Amino acid sequence: MTPPFVERIRLTGTPTGRRVRLAEFGEEIDPLQREQLLAYGLSSSQPITVLQQKPMTVVLCEHMELALEHVVAQHIWVEEE
Amino acid sequence: MTEASCHSPASAPVAPDASTLALVGHPNVGKSVLFHRLTGTYVNVSNYPGTTVEVARATARFDRTASLLDTPGVLALPSRSDDERATMRALLNENLRLIVQVGDAKNLRRTLNLTALLAELGVPLAMALNMTDEARARGVSVDAEALAEVLATPVVPTVATGGEGVAALIESLPHAKAPATMLRYDAETETAIATVAALIGERAPHPHLAARGLAILLLGRDHEVENWFKAQPAGAEILAKVEEIAPLAGRESLPARLARERGRAADALARTVSQQSAGSDKTLSLLVGQLAVHPLWGWPLLLLVLLVVYFFVGDFGAGTLVGLLEEDFFGEILNPAVTDFVNAHVSPTWLAEMLVGDYGLWTMGMTYALALILPIVTTFFIAFGILEDSGYFTRLSVIANRAFGVIGLNGRAVLPMVLGLGCVTMATLTTRILHTPRERLIATFLLALAIPCSAQLGVVFGVLGGISFAAAAIWGICIVLILLVTGLLAAKLLQGRRVPLLTELPPMRLPVAGNVLKKTGGRLKWYLVEVIPLFLIGTFIMFVLDKIGVLPWIIRVGEPLVTGWLGLPAEASAAFVMGFLRRDFGATGLFALGSQLSALQAIVGMVTITLFVPCIASVMIIFKEQGAHVGIAMLAIIMPTAFFVGGLLNHILRLFM
Repeated sequence: MTPPFVERIRLTGTPTGRRVRLAEFGEEIDPLQREQLLAYGLSSSQPITVLQQKPMTVVLCEHMELALEHVVAQHIWVEEE
Repeated sequence: MTEASCHSPASAPVAPDASTLALVGHPNVGKSVLFHRLTGTYVNVSNYPGTTVEVARATARFDRTASLLDTPGVLALPSRSDDERATMRALLNENLRLIVQVGDAKNLRRTLNLTALLAELGVPLAMALNMTDEARARGVSVDAEALAEVLATPVVPTVATGGEGVAALIESLPHAKAPATMLRYDAETETAIATVAALIGERAPHPHLAARGLAILLLGRDHEVENWFKAQPAGAEILAKVEEIAPLAGRESLPARLARERGRAADALARTVSQQSAGSDKTLSLLVGQLAVHPLWGWPLLLLVLLVVYFFVGDFGAGTLVGLLEEDFFGEILNPAVTDFVNAHVSPTWLAEMLVGDYGLWTMGMTYALALILPIVTTFFIAFGILEDSGYFTRLSVIANRAFGVIGLNGRAVLPMVLGLGCVTMATLTTRILHTPRERLIATFLLALAIPCSAQLGVVFGVLGGISFAAAAIWGICIVLILLVTGLLAAKLLQGRRVPLLTELPPMRLPVAGNVLKKTGGRLKWYLVEVIPLFLIGTFIMFVLDKIGVLPWIIRVGEPLVTGWLGLPAEASAAFVMGFLRRDFGATGLFALGSQLSALQAIVGMVTITLFVPCIASVMIIFKEQGAHVGIAMLAIIMPTAFFVGGLLNHILRLFM
C-alpha cells in the first residue's frame, strides 16, 4: 500500500498558530546552523507550533521558543501534523 | 561573570590539589543559581543566555577539599562558540572528579541531547533536572527514577531558585557514576569512532576523559580538542587519522551525522521517561513574551519600557535624588562643614586646597562620586536588574534584528549593547556570545565608541533631562545615528559574511526582588570599589595639573577646538581631560558646569563626551580580547570621531536653535 501523500511546505509559509511536523532541512542551511538547529531540538518529525512570522519566524518546540531569521526558516520544510 | 568584581571571574580560595566538580549545561538553565547554592559565591544571574562567559570557581560548601566550576552554557558539544570553547577547555584541563549536568526539565529532549555526548566522556555524572516548577506549570512530568535507571547514575529534580532538591542533589553526588552510553551510532560511524579511540588510547590517552568521547569530539570537529591533541607528542598522528576518516561520511558531514543521531537517541529516551499533559501550552509567560516580540505591539512596549526607565533614572534618580544629595545635603550642609573644618585645621594651604579646593579630593572627587553619580547608578542598576531578570532583553534581539542587519550584525548583538549600558567593560567580554570574530570586532568597536555606561548615561539624563525631553531625544537620535553610520562603515570595511539570527527566547519571568537587590548591591560594590579610587586619582591629577600650570595651558591650547569648533565654554576643556580617565568623570565635569552651559552646548558636550575614549578598564579588556593593535586603532579612530561629530552637531544645531 502506498503511504498517503503529505504535502511539504516551507516553515515561512506556515500560518501563525498552526502546529506542524518538521520534515527536513534544506541543503541551503549552513552546516553550523544545521548543528545548532539539531541542538535546539529541531529534528525530523518533531512537532512545532508557529507562534509568529514577523519580524522573524518564532516557533515553539517542546517548551522552548526559538526565533529564526527568514533566511533560515525558509529552508526548513514542514508538513501537516 | 561575577558581580563582586564586574571584570573578573569569581574565585574563592581553593586548595591547589583539590579535585574539581563542574556544572555543565545549556545556557539559561540555572547553573549560576545552583553554583550560588552549592558554594555560597554569588555570580551574576540573569534571564538570558550568555550571562556566564568565563569559568567561575569556588570551594564547594559540602566538601571543602573540592572546587566547583560554573561553566558557560553550551548549546551543544562539540564546541563552536567562544563560551562553548571555554567550557570544553575546562573539561579538558581540569582535574575533573565529577560533572553535574544541569538540565531543563521542560526541555528534556534537548537536555538528553547533551547528556548523550557527556556520557561518552567517561567521567562520573549526576544530573540536576532543574526548573521542574516551570515544567509542572507546562504540564510536563519527568520520571526521574526511570531516567536515572537508564543512565545508571543519579538524576535529581531541582528548583535551584527556591533551593528545592539541592540537598538531595548533594546527597546523590557520592553515588554518581560514569553514565551508560545512550546510543550506538550507525555501523560506519562506530567503526570510525573505534579506530580513532583505539589510537588515542594507545598513543595519547587523556588523564580523565575517555578515548571514545574524545574520538567523537574530534570527528565532530571540536577545535579545542584538536588543540589539546596538537600539544601531545603523538597528537599529529591522531589528527591525521581523523582527516583520513572524516570524508567517509558522504553527502552529510560527519559532525552533522553525529549530532543527528544523538538527537534521535535523546528524542527516544525523552519520550520514554516524560509525559506531556494536553492543553497546557498557553501560559501567561508565553503570552507576554509573544507581545514583546509582536511586529506591531513590540514597538510601543519598547517605547513604554524606555520611558519608564527614563523617568525612573533620569527624573527620579538624576533629578530628585541628586537634588536632595548634591544640592541640599552636600551643597548646603556637608561640604561647607568639611571646608570650614579643613581650612581651620589643615595647613599648609596647598594641602587644604587639595582636599577642599576647586579640584579638591572631597569637594570634587567624593562629591562627584557620592552626590552626583551614586544616586543615578543606583536607580539605573535597579531598572537594569528588573529588565534583565524579566527576560525582556533577549526579546529585544527579535525586534532589533533588522536594524542590526544594517550594520553587519544580527539581533544577538543587542545583548552586549544593552549590557554596555550597565558597564561597557563587562559588555565587551559578553561579545564572546557572538559567533564570528568579525561580529565581535564590530560590536566591540561600537561599544567603545557610542555606548554610554550606566554612570555616564545617568549624567546625560541628569543634564539633558533638566533642560527638556527634546534635548535628551536629540542626544539619543545622534547616538543611534552614529551607531548606524559607523556600524555600516565597519561592516563594509571588514571582510566576512553576516550570520543569520537563530536564538532561543527564554521565558518571561517575574523578576525576583532578592535577585535584583543582590545584583544591584554587587554592582554598587563594584562601583564604590573601582570607580571612587579612579575619581580620586583623576581629581588629584587635575589638582596637580592646575597647580603646575598645565591645566590652564591645556585649556588655552584646546580653546580653538573646544570653544571654536565645539562651541563650548573654555572650562569644558578640563572635562575632556577628566574624560581620559573615565567618560562619566568627564561628563560629570560638564554636569558641574551647570548653568554655564546653554541647551545647545549641553547637547553638544554630552554627545562629544559620550563618544569620547572609553574608560581605562574597558580599554584594557579591549586590548585583552582584540589585541593591542586593534585596541590602538580603535582609540585612534574614536577620539577624532568624537570631536568631529560634536563640532558638526554644534554647527548644525546653531542653524535651528
